[in-house]
Amino acid sequence: MHSDAFSKCHPAVNLVFFLGAIVATVLIVHPAYVLASIAGAALYYMLLSGQKGLKRILVLLPIFVFVTAVNPLFNTYGDRVLFKVFGRPYTLEALLYGASLAGVLVAMLLWFGCYNAVLTEDKFTSLFGNLAPALSLLLVMVLRMIPNLIKKGRQISGSRMSVGKDASNGRTLTEKISGGMLVVGTLMSWALEGGVVTSDSMQARGYGTAKRTSFMIYRFTGSDGVLAAVIAALLAAIIAFCAKGAASAVFTPTLDIAPVRGTNLAGFIVFVIYMLIPSVMHIREAVQWNISRSRI
Amino acid sequence: MKKSHIAILIVFLICIPLTLYFGTIAARRSFYLTGTLVIIELLVPFFMAFEGRKPQARELVIIAVLCALGVASRVLVPLPHFKPAFAIILLSGMAFGPESGFMVGAITAFAGNFFMGQGPFTPWQMMAYGAGGMLAGFIFQKKLLPKKPLIMAIFGFVMCVVWIGPLLDCSQIFLMLSEINWAGVAASFAAGLPVNVSQGVCTAIVMFLFGRPILEKLDRVKIKYGMMEDADGI
Repeated sequence: MHSDAFSKCHPAVNLVFFLGAIVATVLIVHPAYVLASIAGAALYYMLLSGQKGLKRILVLLPIFVFVTAVNPLFNTYGDRVLFKVFGRPYTLEALLYGASLAGVLVAMLLWFGCYNAVLTEDKFTSLFGNLAPALSLLLVMVLRMIPNLIKKGRQISGSRMSVGKDASNGRTLTEKISGGMLVVGTLMSWALEGGVVTSDSMQARGYGTAKRTSFMIYRFTGSDGVLAAVIAALLAAIIAFCAKGAASAVFTPTLDIAPVRGTNLAGFIVFVIYMLIPSVMHIREAVQWNISRSRI
Repeated sequence: MKKSHIAILIVFLICIPLTLYFGTIAARRSFYLTGTLVIIELLVPFFMAFEGRKPQARELVIIAVLCALGVASRVLVPLPHFKPAFAIILLSGMAFGPESGFMVGAITAFAGNFFMGQGPFTPWQMMAYGAGGMLAGFIFQKKLLPKKPLIMAIFGFVMCVVWIGPLLDCSQIFLMLSEINWAGVAASFAAGLPVNVSQGVCTAIVMFLFGRPILEKLDRVKIKYGMMEDADGI
């Protein structure tokens, strides 16, 4: 995933793209658009994580079925009654509505999966380093300390193990909990004392005396500008088409889904293009790489 | 007026009403997005206040340690689903005051999700944990409740079952249900109850057995190094 074309862009562009994709996905419940969003997200997710990605996508299937099936139990509007559950009608309209919402949920989870792979914590903190210096410093420190503390915690439980008091050897529940929490308590004392040393050292080096400058490893290049402009233009087009009702979909009490043809089709195409941006960039780079390698 | 006070006024008088208006009228019935936006708008003034106060190195590092401990503790107790994180957040609020409690809660949720994966629930979780830590700070530092093991345990359990669990369930209800009505909400809360109760029991156990020792450790460091004692810091 580190050689992914979209991930190599400026983090701000990545963030704007994901925000746009997720907000658009949440707001639009039109089945065709939901499918397009799922397809775009799933494709990019698989490009990022390969074989493992397919397994994780299949895990979402039961969630989809569950949310779809559960919705008509609580939404009894609609004319076409399929059958009755506890004397309440189970309608086709509500089932379709449920399927759409389940699709939105799946698409969102997939987009978040891509977000986690692309916008790693270093990018996030570098993005907000100037806007909120204390907060991003805090976040960086926390993210650095977590593996550090886990390692130190393992050392503590290791030394307890050597005297036969390891938490994972505990027979009863209370032994496990108290053993584990004892490690956490010891770790807390150690980490707080260590933290004071760290902060004194920071103070000695002049923390807080002047505005902190931050080192930005990501440069906003010309191609980032082009991509940002494309994203902005597509988003504006999607908003314009949606305002005209191209993606309107009402399920209950009667189905009223905007047909995808004529001008509406243009809106749909714009939406599809937007959702495919990262995948297209990824594939284009892969193709280029293969071409230039075959020329050698 | 301080910048953060102005931000609070802007958020409450302009941003939230506008969000609610557009959420219900312009973008029809998108409860999830509206709710998430309101929550983010509520988080911003807190973060601005923290930023505007120019926190000292010591405060920053101590908050960072507590957050990291909350996340790491999940790995160190060899039991599945046993998460002492929330107990640590509450105890931090009790020892270092409401503002630190809020920061520890919100950052623990956010940083933990870098490992567990960010999701649609991230802002809701930050709000829930942050508010939990803040409330613990208010109640126990102002001595509205004594810091006794049993009382802390009950407080932790109630916070999990009545506040954090339902708030996180809400984010799911808004995403999953097409029609929000009492039957659906009740069913979702009932489905979430086992998880919330197990979380509550876990928090209560930690508070009951380890609340006092951990508080003593925090207080010891506080006294030893004279930390966070300036009146306007809290």
